[in-house]
Amino acid sequence: MTALEFHGVRVRLGRGRRAVDVVHGVDLTVPAGTVTGLVGTSGCGKSTLARAAVGLVPLAAGRIAPAGGVQLVFQDPYSSLDPRMTIGAAVAEAVPRRVRDRAGEVRRLLDLVGLEPEHAGRLPRHLSGGQRQRVAIARALAARPGVVIADEITSSLDVSVQGMVLNLIRELQRELGLTMLFISHNLAVVRYVSDRVAVMDAGRIVESGPVDDVLSAPRNPYTRALLDSVPKLG
Amino acid sequence: MAVPSPPLDHPVPPPTEAAPARERRHPWVAYLARRLLRFVLSMALLITATFGMVHVIPGDPVRAALGVTASPELVAARTHELGLDLPVWQQYARYVAGVFGGDLGSSMVSGLPVAQTIADRLPYTVMLALVAFAVVMITAVPLGMAAAAWTRGSRGRAAELLFTGASGLLAVVPEFLLAVAMIVVFAVTWELLPVANVSGSVTPSYYVLPTLALAVGPAAALARIVRVEALAVLSSDYMRTARAKRLPARLLYLRHALPNLLTGALTIGGLLISGLVAGSVLVENVFVWPGLGSALVDAIKAKDFPVVQGVVLVYGSAVLLVNLAVDVALGRLDPRSTIKED
Amino acid sequence: MRGLKNPLGIAALVSLVFLLFMVVLGPILWGEEAVRTDTMALTQGVSAAHPMGTDGLGRDVLARVMAASRSSVGLALLATAVAVAGGLLLGALPAVLGRRAAGLLNGFVSLVVAFPGLLIALVLAVVLGSGGRSAAFAIGLASVPAFARLTQTLAASVAGRDFVAAARVLGVGRARMLFRHILPNIGEPLIVQATLGAGGALLAFAALSFLGLGVQAPDYDWGLLLNEGLNRVYVNPAAALAPGIAVVLAGLAFNILGEYAAQVFGGRDTIARAEGRSARPVPGDALIVRDLRVSFGPAVPVKGVSFTVAPGERVGLVGESGSGKSLTALAVAGLVEPPGVVTGTIEAGETAMVFQDPMTSLNPALRVGTQIAEVATTHQRLSRRDAARRAVARLADVHIGAPARVAGQYPHELSGGMRQRAMIAMGLMGAPRLIVADEPTTALDVTVQKQILDLLREASTTSGAAVLLISHDLAVVAQLCSRVLVMYAGVIVEDLTTERLVAGPAHPYTRALLASVPDMSADRSLPLATIHGRMPSPAEPVTGCPFAPRCPRADERCLTAMPPFTSASGGGGVACWHPVRETGGGPVTRPDEEAPDEEDPMRRTR
Repeated sequence: MTALEFHGVRVRLGRGRRAVDVVHGVDLTVPAGTVTGLVGTSGCGKSTLARAAVGLVPLAAGRIAPAGGVQLVFQDPYSSLDPRMTIGAAVAEAVPRRVRDRAGEVRRLLDLVGLEPEHAGRLPRHLSGGQRQRVAIARALAARPGVVIADEITSSLDVSVQGMVLNLIRELQRELGLTMLFISHNLAVVRYVSDRVAVMDAGRIVESGPVDDVLSAPRNPYTRALLDSVPKLG
Repeated sequence: MAVPSPPLDHPVPPPTEAAPARERRHPWVAYLARRLLRFVLSMALLITATFGMVHVIPGDPVRAALGVTASPELVAARTHELGLDLPVWQQYARYVAGVFGGDLGSSMVSGLPVAQTIADRLPYTVMLALVAFAVVMITAVPLGMAAAAWTRGSRGRAAELLFTGASGLLAVVPEFLLAVAMIVVFAVTWELLPVANVSGSVTPSYYVLPTLALAVGPAAALARIVRVEALAVLSSDYMRTARAKRLPARLLYLRHALPNLLTGALTIGGLLISGLVAGSVLVENVFVWPGLGSALVDAIKAKDFPVVQGVVLVYGSAVLLVNLAVDVALGRLDPRSTIKED
Repeated sequence: MRGLKNPLGIAALVSLVFLLFMVVLGPILWGEEAVRTDTMALTQGVSAAHPMGTDGLGRDVLARVMAASRSSVGLALLATAVAVAGGLLLGALPAVLGRRAAGLLNGFVSLVVAFPGLLIALVLAVVLGSGGRSAAFAIGLASVPAFARLTQTLAASVAGRDFVAAARVLGVGRARMLFRHILPNIGEPLIVQATLGAGGALLAFAALSFLGLGVQAPDYDWGLLLNEGLNRVYVNPAAALAPGIAVVLAGLAFNILGEYAAQVFGGRDTIARAEGRSARPVPGDALIVRDLRVSFGPAVPVKGVSFTVAPGERVGLVGESGSGKSLTALAVAGLVEPPGVVTGTIEAGETAMVFQDPMTSLNPALRVGTQIAEVATTHQRLSRRDAARRAVARLADVHIGAPARVAGQYPHELSGGMRQRAMIAMGLMGAPRLIVADEPTTALDVTVQKQILDLLREASTTSGAAVLLISHDLAVVAQLCSRVLVMYAGVIVEDLTTERLVAGPAHPYTRALLASVPDMSADRSLPLATIHGRMPSPAEPVTGCPFAPRCPRADERCLTAMPPFTSASGGGGVACWHPVRETGGGPVTRPDEEAPDEEDPMRRTR
């Protein structure tokens, strides 16, 4: 497994005079085989950072390693699957060319995320939100990535379904020893799946470290504000 | 006509995390500048296209205009007269200079200055289009809103069917067919209204049939669109908010719904004017109206290219000016449109 | 054939048969008669022998109109083919080209598309010369920019979707992207537009021929026949009408086909709505709901809900999507619209509403101040100036800095949190007895979420208004409310205090819901509890407890008889045959690694 490293990453969006720096010089390392949670409010640049890591957004400066072999699971499983492609075809498209038994590989991947082989012939619209998110995870794993980035993958799911997807992610990560950047605005969710956590605000990483350290003794005022605003039962 | 109306919504930008919207100093000025630039580019395209038109016609345009019987000397003389023997870039320079100086050349057939022909005929076409546009706007907007209010929900099924059926039919019938049908009914069968007389004098009663023929289709189309837009507006979240405030119907429709409708209606209205300009060409020909449209068709048939160039230039710039005016009005009416990227 | 069940489907079928009949059989049946000259019958009017009269050479007009079908429709189809091919090429090219070339191409198309098609067609007719085929190309080429623009717009909207980004991450090439992902997803609207475009091309062609720039004699099409007919309109009006009617019918046929295609592809749903009924003001409780049912035809998303909210009380209404919580809130505010049918009684005083999405809930065309002030001008008969002054005061009450400036701004100039504050300020203009807030923080950031919840609490305390907070998030509800109603499949399954919710609810569903959400103290070494199966849909008939198929405590009785809602002695209550008596949380269902089936009927094995 590979570590995911960001070195001085800067991202500018827009062109000409309208261009805006969205990510300002981010340095972050996700150690191999571990999960780092990335938290921050919407617009802080965390999704842009994820898109930069998979090459969907060009870098204005800095370097991201590895340059390839990074897969991204998107937030909305309703738009991240081609509505006209069967589940099997969508997963197969991601399977590397060198793999001989593609059908077998698709079956194995579907099984890995808890779907039946029969699902391969169905279209996304016949699946529930949670099942679609499983397909998206299977598709990401099919490419045999060294690193997986999960961008708010449970925020469009119902709470009872969220639990299942989180369990699956944890299980797969441990089983396959994945290196993972887990992005979410929900601190409790991030705390549950991550080993380390990084807090992002206005395009910068303001604090990072082991989950327990950061969440029990936050040093940055922004992290404290985030922690304070988490709604608690009782 | 053969053109499907371009979709009005803007392409969706990729869903990246939006950068914090930094306030431009003058979004309105930047918007206006972009629109003006677009207008200038379009005009350049139009001028170049009308110039290029004559040069891509297969064969000798002068020979085509004068006919096979014309002597080679006459053709050569006329070619020289028109400057068609000069290098292309010089011709282009002369053409552009001419356009800006108001000199559009002279007719190959009659020898009269094209600018003079246009000046004589333009007022008739403008009057026809303006009256027709006024008729469209005055009838379609209230009609569409009333239809929306009437057919909302599952109420008024029959009314909905009647409205969509009738307006659909009227919107499909092209103006020139309507014109012919009107002539048959009102002029030939009932002898109620006059059709164009060749002798020239155009009294108000001559306007009735051409403007109706021109206005009915666009009015039906606009009424349909206004109804659909109104239905969308009426079921929007902010209308729900307004209903939650228990506002009276008058405020609900006039203050909350109408302004949100106007932008859509105005955009379509702009497209309709373009359509009216094109439709007037046909209607003028049916009614032998002494406007630009009949001049254009006569010139095309006679292969009188300078006249064709001049008239197309006028039509094209009219459309572009209308579009510019609509954009400016939209920018004023809808505070969001100025910050929208195009 | 579901198409035959709706009138548009039938009309489309009739149109198709009619078009095919005319095009295939027109020239065969009437071709000879159409060219037979009769010097004894020149330019005749309507007669038994010639139903539409004859033309200048004594040829039968009706036969000529029928025989002209093939050339008229055929040339229109040729024009459409040219338009679609050119449009697809120009429109799809930018997706494959580099960024700069694509930008130039897009710019060019958007300049050309501003000119009316007929004008371009006329110019092209000049260049290409007259004649049927060149006119078809002129019309087709004139429509290319519009089709290109349509293709571009559609392609751009597809290209912005996540599945295309996912394919790019997977390294899918440009060509495969275009053919496998983009074109299939824009095919349907393009087919619809092409069909409608064919109708347009037919009319345009008739226009061009009518002007004498299309088909040339001795060939003939409808446009040319119309021209000839108009020249003799005083002698035989029928000769002008007949080709016109043919053009209209054929154009209509294409339009009906296009509309039908749009309906089939689009699954166009007509969202029907109408005014809601208003609630009656009552003394005593802030809200009384008795046996509330909301139905949409056979589907009944709210199946008999009863509860009361005391003055100043803050009550949460919790449930997953599809539980009926939002519809209950809309019914309380009298905002359910037909075809929704509301039965039962709702008694409420003046009610203020706060909606989920502050981006769409404010009118974009009106200034914020105007929208807030109008409550007072219409209901409290305040003068415009007094209302405006009060609006600014209310904006200040909801802690908006520079309230006077904000009142003069449009909604798009405010952030999401500010807009939600403005919505609350709007609700506070009157003297609400109840504030109904439907997921008011779901669209907002966590940091803003807390502020809005604090603001709602403050508003309720200072104005004495009760709050009904609808949310899917137990933690959010616990922050604001003293009492929680849990909804499942259209019924309230539990009514409990927030303390009780934390200490240990009685209903297995409430417990399962609590256990499935990680909080800041969740044990990370254990998997989260999950709930198997799915909630029954509103249209499914349910006998017994709706949660029974997913419930570990369910027995025979649970599956056959709906448990009644039984009130507890200390207030609240539960609808369950086997409520959990002891306190203390704990997961109800152990996660089952082998069968995470969710809502898939295929795997419902229990």
